[in-house]
Amino acid sequence: MEFGFTEEQETLRKELYDFYARELPEDVTDVPAVSKELQDFWMDLQKKAGRKGYLTPGWSKETGGLGLGHMEAGVANEVEGYWGIRWPNGVGLQVCGPGLHLFGTEEQKKNFLPEISSGEKIWYECFTEPEAGTDEANQQTRAKKQGDKWIINGQKIYITGGYKPDLLLVEARTADTVPKHKGLTLFCFSAETPGVTVAALPCMGGYLANIFYFDDVMVGDEAVIGQINQGFYHVMETFEFERSNTYGAARARRDLHEMVQFCRETKKNGEPLIKNPEIRKALAKMAVDIEVLRLATWRTAWRFGERDRLGPLDFDLTGLFARLNGIAHSVVRLNILGVYGQLRRGSKYAKLSGDVERDWQYTRSMHYAGTLEAVKIVLAGRVLGLPRIPAKLNKTIMEALQEKK
Amino acid sequence: MNFELSEEQQMLKDSARGFLEKECTESVVRESEDSDSGYSPELWKKAAELGWLGIAYPEKYGGSGMDILDMAILYEEMGRALFPSPHLSTVVLGGLTILDAGSEEQKNSILPRISKGEMLLSLAVTEPEAIWNGKGWLPEGVTMPVVAQGDDYILSGTKLFVHDAHSADYLIVAAATGKENKITLFLVEAHSPGITYTILRTSAGDKRQSEIIFDDVKVPGKNIIGRLHDGWAPLEKILKIGAVLLSAQLVGSAEKAMELAIDHAKTRIQFDMPIGIHNWVQEYCIMAFADVQGTRNLVYEAAWMLGKDIPCDLEVAMAKARANEACIDAHWQAHQVLAGIGFCTQDGLLPLHTKRGKVYQLYLGDTDHHMEKIAQQLEKWPDLEKPHGKPLGIFDVPEDLQEPNWDVWKNQIEVRGKLW
Repeated sequence: MEFGFTEEQETLRKELYDFYARELPEDVTDVPAVSKELQDFWMDLQKKAGRKGYLTPGWSKETGGLGLGHMEAGVANEVEGYWGIRWPNGVGLQVCGPGLHLFGTEEQKKNFLPEISSGEKIWYECFTEPEAGTDEANQQTRAKKQGDKWIINGQKIYITGGYKPDLLLVEARTADTVPKHKGLTLFCFSAETPGVTVAALPCMGGYLANIFYFDDVMVGDEAVIGQINQGFYHVMETFEFERSNTYGAARARRDLHEMVQFCRETKKNGEPLIKNPEIRKALAKMAVDIEVLRLATWRTAWRFGERDRLGPLDFDLTGLFARLNGIAHSVVRLNILGVYGQLRRGSKYAKLSGDVERDWQYTRSMHYAGTLEAVKIVLAGRVLGLPRIPAKLNKTIMEALQEKK
Repeated sequence: MNFELSEEQQMLKDSARGFLEKECTESVVRESEDSDSGYSPELWKKAAELGWLGIAYPEKYGGSGMDILDMAILYEEMGRALFPSPHLSTVVLGGLTILDAGSEEQKNSILPRISKGEMLLSLAVTEPEAIWNGKGWLPEGVTMPVVAQGDDYILSGTKLFVHDAHSADYLIVAAATGKENKITLFLVEAHSPGITYTILRTSAGDKRQSEIIFDDVKVPGKNIIGRLHDGWAPLEKILKIGAVLLSAQLVGSAEKAMELAIDHAKTRIQFDMPIGIHNWVQEYCIMAFADVQGTRNLVYEAAWMLGKDIPCDLEVAMAKARANEACIDAHWQAHQVLAGIGFCTQDGLLPLHTKRGKVYQLYLGDTDHHMEKIAQQLEKWPDLEKPHGKPLGIFDVPEDLQEPNWDVWKNQIEVRGKLW
């Protein structure tokens, strides 16, 4: 066992830390990219970091990375988390790129990967649908083969957004006569393909999600990613990459640090907040929770990196801890600020730039990549081996309920 | 970062698991609960043969020179099996203190005998008033007066919640010898005239904790461990090691409770189906699992840092604070699943785990104690480079732009419709 980092990893951490410390302005904070200036700023920084290979240190040099390992990618991720950086192409970097590595053709890899690692292009993943949330396999968007073209029709929702995407990674149904998770295929095509339309879905905390509509979107065979009808398995596999994401704990640690500093500097009834026993305990509790999350994530990252040797990931608690922490801590932090906690960024009296209020709103959503309940269902069934109601029985129950109506 | 046990560590874990499952059965645990010494001498002898008693000492004192992380792995297994032994008191809190601060003569006369299972030690620190004031494990909580008399010292006062004292051969007693919380550690022969033990009736139900009253107990000057007035440094160090190992013990115990719960959830049939099919029952199992796995990483990290002599006050406090809460929580979750079966004390392991878990939780610093330690470390964090709170420039988003600015890219893709 080893809980430290190698000298090379520490050097990389320092290099990245210094780079971002130089590049980021004084008041850097995780504000949603709501203005043109902010969008341009983040795009420019993404490109700058991309040119140095900082976006994808774990990728090979040919694909624009630094040729380092999975753990080094985790270190880079931690630094980004510390500075609260949300890349415009976060999805492409975390999900689509690693996915392409696994099951893209050589040509697709050559075409797409360098554009992702250099920070030039933005990808969105279009998986979730109104009827396919936690039930990921229940996709209704259809892709039908007509001659040598695929015609795609359907609707996608809760697509993380805020920027103008260049490419979409879309999951669609390509076979109807097989069980629903065996009839899905992944497609990748330009967001400007005729027939693609989009609507905005504003979310709490000022974040922007999108609804995508596909009306007779026509793409060729080169748009197919991976194997036909294997899309569901491809998606599950790419999600594995997202799980070993060391970003969250580093981000939370920074937020705690901000709060500690605030509590040292701010007086209430003539005494610094940090001397208040309840606040001391609340801060200590957050520190413990964050360390639990940090180590759980690193365990997942390490275990995932060793999967060739040790077999598939045995268990992963990152999702559980991240959700539980996110929900609880945002409330605790807001409560420490008391009545000032409600003030948003830009208000005259806002504390900590209103970040705490924004986080509080934002953490009302802890559902991305699966709700807390979905995480628990996976743990109960796949990890602990607890029994579940068989699908057949579920169907009978539904039918019985409908009859009763 | 690497979370894999080394080959030797895996061997230690497997052999400990095998030995304890065979030898430390539920009936052995229950018998030692009733015994006057509070532990099983036969098992203690076998543990000596396995080398567990000298595990952390150098070879020249009859040990095998393993480090704190190896011990944490062993302690996890001991917690899992509810191993009734004075191992923590003797080998760690006693022996390691001597190894760290004792004279060569003390080391030579004591450590080999501990390794062979011929000598038991006990550490007496906490006092009634100090515990109540939350200073039980702090230097200012040690107020027991000492009077110098020629080359000897005379100790008087009361120590409370001392583990494994009445069966020990020697006590290590912390006493106040100077102003400004200067304390000294004395090696006191356990049966010296003037010492009386009263066994405390605790929730664990065993006879492991005592009140010790010292009534003018004479201790020769050569029995000072380390230097006069310098007792806090070695004591602080050993309390950290003890807290981490106790946390490992809690993790092992909580894991066993979790396994009992999961097993019960899978096999107990009600309404013609296993109760584990219900989400609420699953919830208990999942949270117990998260309690155990989440805490284990913290404990190993702290143990690893202690073994490497990396400053780790924060990590140690985090490990014990988290183990205190999460492992006791896992016991609780298991009780919800096992219901009636877990409540009967006649047989079944869960009540034993729950009751001992409580004792581990309160020993060597309860949650409040360690949370305060964490808070003290947080206070020392340096000021941030580029802190938030200076809204300037492009990150100062005007109030009317708090909502996303759809205009930014609506012209670039055909917009179906705005939702506001």
